Parts: sequence; C-alpha cells; structure tokens
Amino acid sequence: MRAPGLALRSLLPFLLGLPALLALQGSLSDFWASVLITAGVNVILAVSLNVVNGFTGQFSIGHAGFMAVGAYTAAKITLAAAGWAPAGLPPRLADGAVFLLALLAGMVTAALAGLLVGMPSLRLRGDYLAIVTLGFNEIIRVIIENTAFLGRATGLSGLPRRTTFAWAWMGVIATVVMARRLLGSTHGRALLAIREDEVAAEAMGVDTTGYKVKAFVVSSAFAGLAGGLLVHLIQLCTPRTFTFVKSIEVVVMVVLGGLGSVTGSAVAAFGLTLALEGLREVQEYRMVAYSLLLIVLMLTRPTGLFGTREAWDWLPRLPWRRRPEEGA
Amino acid sequence: MSAAGVAAPAAGGEGGAAPVLEARGVTMRFGGLQALAAFDLRLEPRELVGLIGPNGAGKTTAFNAITGVYAPTGGEVRVGGARVNGERPHQICARGVARTFQNIRLFKELSALDNVRVACHLGARAGWAAALALTGGFLRDEARLTRRAGEFLAVMGLAHRRDEPAKGLPYGEQRRLEIARALATGPKVLCLDEPAAGMNASEKVALMELIRKIRDDFGLAILVIEHDMRLVMGVSERLVVLDHGVTIARGTPEAVRRDPKVIEAYLGDSYLEERHIAVPDDRPGRKS
Ligand SMILES: Nc1ncnc2c1ncn2[C@@H]1O[C@H](COP(=O)(O)OP(=O)(O)OP(=O)(O)O)[C@@H](O)[C@H]1O
Ligand SMILES: [Mg+2]
Repeated sequence: MRAPGLALRSLLPFLLGLPALLALQGSLSDFWASVLITAGVNVILAVSLNVVNGFTGQFSIGHAGFMAVGAYTAAKITLAAAGWAPAGLPPRLADGAVFLLALLAGMVTAALAGLLVGMPSLRLRGDYLAIVTLGFNEIIRVIIENTAFLGRATGLSGLPRRTTFAWAWMGVIATVVMARRLLGSTHGRALLAIREDEVAAEAMGVDTTGYKVKAFVVSSAFAGLAGGLLVHLIQLCTPRTFTFVKSIEVVVMVVLGGLGSVTGSAVAAFGLTLALEGLREVQEYRMVAYSLLLIVLMLTRPTGLFGTREAWDWLPRLPWRRRPEEGA
Repeated sequence: MSAAGVAAPAAGGEGGAAPVLEARGVTMRFGGLQALAAFDLRLEPRELVGLIGPNGAGKTTAFNAITGVYAPTGGEVRVGGARVNGERPHQICARGVARTFQNIRLFKELSALDNVRVACHLGARAGWAAALALTGGFLRDEARLTRRAGEFLAVMGLAHRRDEPAKGLPYGEQRRLEIARALATGPKVLCLDEPAAGMNASEKVALMELIRKIRDDFGLAILVIEHDMRLVMGVSERLVVLDHGVTIARGTPEAVRRDPKVIEAYLGDSYLEERHIAVPDDRPGRKS
C-alpha cells in the first residue's frame, strides 16, 4: 500500500511531464526543437550550478568541465552500442535504453570527477574552489586533446541523434525536482546555512565540508547529464564545446537569475539561450556581451532578477498557499 | 548517531558525577600572544557557571577552544569524559556542546524557524536520497523537525517571529534566537557568549531569569560570559575570572567579588568605576 503511494508522490512530476512533453514534441518544427533542447540543456546547467553557487554560497566556475566528463562518457557508450539490436526488442526501445544508460553513466562519472575536485578544494574556504574548478576545466580539455581514445582535438563524431525535446526536458524536470526538493529539506537548509554563515553552521552541527562536497557532487552529476544530452543533439563531441567560455556562460545565467533561485536560474538560462539564438551573428562577441551584462547587473540589480526568491513568491497569496500557522 | 559514547546527564545530579565538560590546562597562543593560559574548568551537570573578565581577557577564546573553532595549542578538552581535541566544531556540537556568538551569527536571510530548523539537523534521520525521493519517512522527519523547532522558538518567546527573516528581528530577539538555535542542537552544555550584550536593563534581567529557567527545564549545564558583574553574579553559582588569559580567581560570587585580584583587574580596566557597579549587594530577583 505504501510503496505505490511513495512511487506516485516521488515520480509525479515525471508522470505528468512525460505525456505533456510528448504531446508538445509532435507540434515542434526541427528548428524549434533544437532551440528548445539547447535551452533545456542550459536550464539543467544553470539550475545545477545554482546548487553550489547559489544555495551553498561557493564559487565554482568550471561547470563545463563536468559537462565534458558526462558528455564523453555518454558518447562513448552510445557509439559502442551503435548497431546493437537485441532480438525481440523494438529498435527504438533498445536505443532508448542504451541512451538512458549512457546518460546515467555520464552522471556517475561526472559525479566522481566532482568528488575528485571537490574533496581537496572544499576543505579550504574562500576562492580556492574557483581557482581549482577553472583549472579542472582546462585540464579536462588538455587531457581530451591528448587522448586518442577520446578523438583528440577533433573529438568524437557520428553520434546517433538521440536527444529529443522530451528527453531534454525530462532532464530539466529531474534537475528542477532535485533542486526544489533539496531546498525544501533539512539538507538544503544546511546548505543555505553554510552560505549564510559557515562558522555558525559548523557550530550548529552541520558538517560543512561534507555538505559542500555532497552539493558539489550532485551539481556535477547534473552537469554531466547536460553534457550527455547536448552531444546527442549536435551529434558531435569536441573539447571546443566545453571551454571556459561555456562555464562562464552558465555562471552568467545563475547570477542573472539570482543566486539561490531555482526558477530564476531556469528563466535566465531559457531567456539567454533564446537571445543568443536570435543573435547568431554576434555569437563571437559572447564574452564581451557576458561581461557587459554582468557589469550592468552588478550596478543595477546585484541580487539578479529573482534574488533568492522563486517565481511563485510574487503570486497573490491564495487561500491554499497560506503560510503554515503555528501548531499546524 | 551523535550522542554515542556520551554519558547522559546524571539523573540525580550528584556532586561526584562525571563532569559534562572539562578543560585541563587549555592554552591558546596566537603567534606571540598567549590569549589563554592553562585554563581549567570542570562543569558538572546542571551547573550554571559565569566566565568573567575585562575586555580581551580570553573569554571568547576559551569558548572557541572548547567548541573546536580553534584547536587548543595545549591542554585537553573533554566532553562527557571523551577527549575532543582536534575534533571539528560540528563533531563537538554532536557530543552535546552548543554555543552562541558574541557578535551575533544568525543565518540572516533565513526565517527564524529555519534558523532553528538548521540546528535540529543533528536529529534528522532521513538522508539525501530520502529527501529527493520524498519518502514517507522523510516527510515525517521534516514534520517532526519543524514541530521541534517551533517549540524552541516558543520557549524563547519568538513564536510570533516564526516566518520573519532573522536579519529583520530586533536586537534582543536576535540574541534570543541564537539561544533557541543553540538549544535546538540538543546540548548537554550551553555556552553563551555575552547573551545580554546590547540589551537594556530590564531585558537583561528578564534574560537572566530565562537562562536560569532553561537550565532547570532542560537540565543543562550552562557556561555564560557576561560583562555585567551584577547580572552574572546574580545568576551563576560559580564564577571563573580571567585576565590576560590567566585564571585569576574562581569560586562563589561572594568570594570572587571580594577577591583583591579581581577588584584590581577590573579597576585596572576602570571597569567598575565606569559602570558604578563596585560591589553588588542586591541580587536581581532570585526565585527559589
Ligand atoms: N584569531 C585570533 N588571532 C589573533 N589574536 C586573537 C584571535 N582571537 C582572539 N585574539 C586575541 O586574544 C585576546 C583575547 O581575546 P578574546 O576575544 O578571547 O577576549 P574576550 O575576553 O572575549 O574579550 P571581550 O570581552 O572584548 O569579548 C585578545 O587580545 C585578542 O586580540
Ligand atoms: Mg569576547
């Protein structure tokens, strides 16, 4: 009796989301599908980075590095499984199963990379994490460019196109559900406490190092998911996709949306992707645009568009959204 | 998980019971500065002890050494009989030592309730996976923590501030919220660093009453730093006096207040003169 109830509550967003996404998918042109997939990937990146930079108050600027780890892992798996057609299984189902496995594997390797980077650097306070993640981003690039197995600078090509609109946005749902559920739990509050005052959080019994590492590992896993999704859209996996510029792009999205706001990150990532899509000619000047955007933001609205609030905090206080009263 | 190996507060509170907190020759050096020298302290269950001394005497340093913010450069700290030197503050907190901060360190952007809920964290049983899957165990755990946190807010008279961000509370309430938060960690020892600082006279008296009540209701040992001699003497059973890191006196308030070394230390600080609190002869409304 309890198990089905748990499964339903736990999976409800996915059960509601999947049919809606599949229905929408049918009516999308190829162009819009690929724009929206890109936007979805960026939403995953921004929301997951927000777990570290927004919730926990750390400063990671190497998200693209973890994205690369997930992307290459997933790409290697789908390439290896190309042409694999088990008897008795419809090919589309087999492809889907392989892709799901590839994405999950990408999340695991990205999480391991996060553990490797986070363990030593999160022990120390301050800007150490920024430097280490930046370095990690570059190291990953250098490693890829020098590894034949990973296709060196030219990368891995000929990937199957597996990322549909529904796949990408199921990933978005997973990321947002993770972030919101974390935030609503005692573990999420411990992360916020670390952001607010690390000394006090530690004194109140929060294992601050352990929590920072856990948040970083979870965040890295979802960066890996975004990587896996992206390369199975563009059908190409090269180190150029995962440079420092990409990492900064994600940081800009998080800061723009508001450090600590899940909906803020999502809206900013979505909006910025569409804006970039509309301004293809000026893409080369992205870094300049980001710098200007950050400067304007710092001058006019340093907390980002949403601050630490969520979109629904602006809704009128409806009867069923009343604050929990005492004793409730 | 946390309290493993820690003796429960002795039921009868008999004198010979193991001390809940013990400092033996704790020394704290910052470069050339000896901020705390051979600090000794035995805190029995349910004892209320005052730690006093002029500015810069090393009182806060003693707290920091006890709670693991600094690793003592010498001596040892024992909590419930177990040596805790070198443990991180969260581990020492889990052993049952909670504290407040002299310069208020609330989680400013979080609500009063969430400030306390963070401190209830040690009692959380559901892990990350349960939280992300929204298991029934997790939801029950959250409800339990929320109820518990609400109770601590009520104890400190802050129930009406439940959903307000901590940074918006008046100063006196922020100090009380710090105490509520420390209590929520489920301590056996509560270390209060100038809990009445910045309060007016009547607030201070009320707070001291509250501190005594907390001790009685929760059965805690309390170590309190307070600058106002009259207040701290009224509330504590025993005093330890620090000056320049050295323990210059210890004993009952009556004995300490007549101790020439104490008078000298405070006069040297022109402390008593400034505040017209030479020798307190009345003690703020002591209830029995
Ligand atoms: N982290 C530190 N590094 C260097 N010196 C320190 C440090 N912390 C404290 N001190 C020094 O140690 C001495 C004792 O400081 P402490 O804060 O313990 O005094 P206190 O008794 O709490 O004084 P107050 O009543 O002003 O709060 C002071 O001289 C202070 O400057
Ligand atoms: Mg002090």
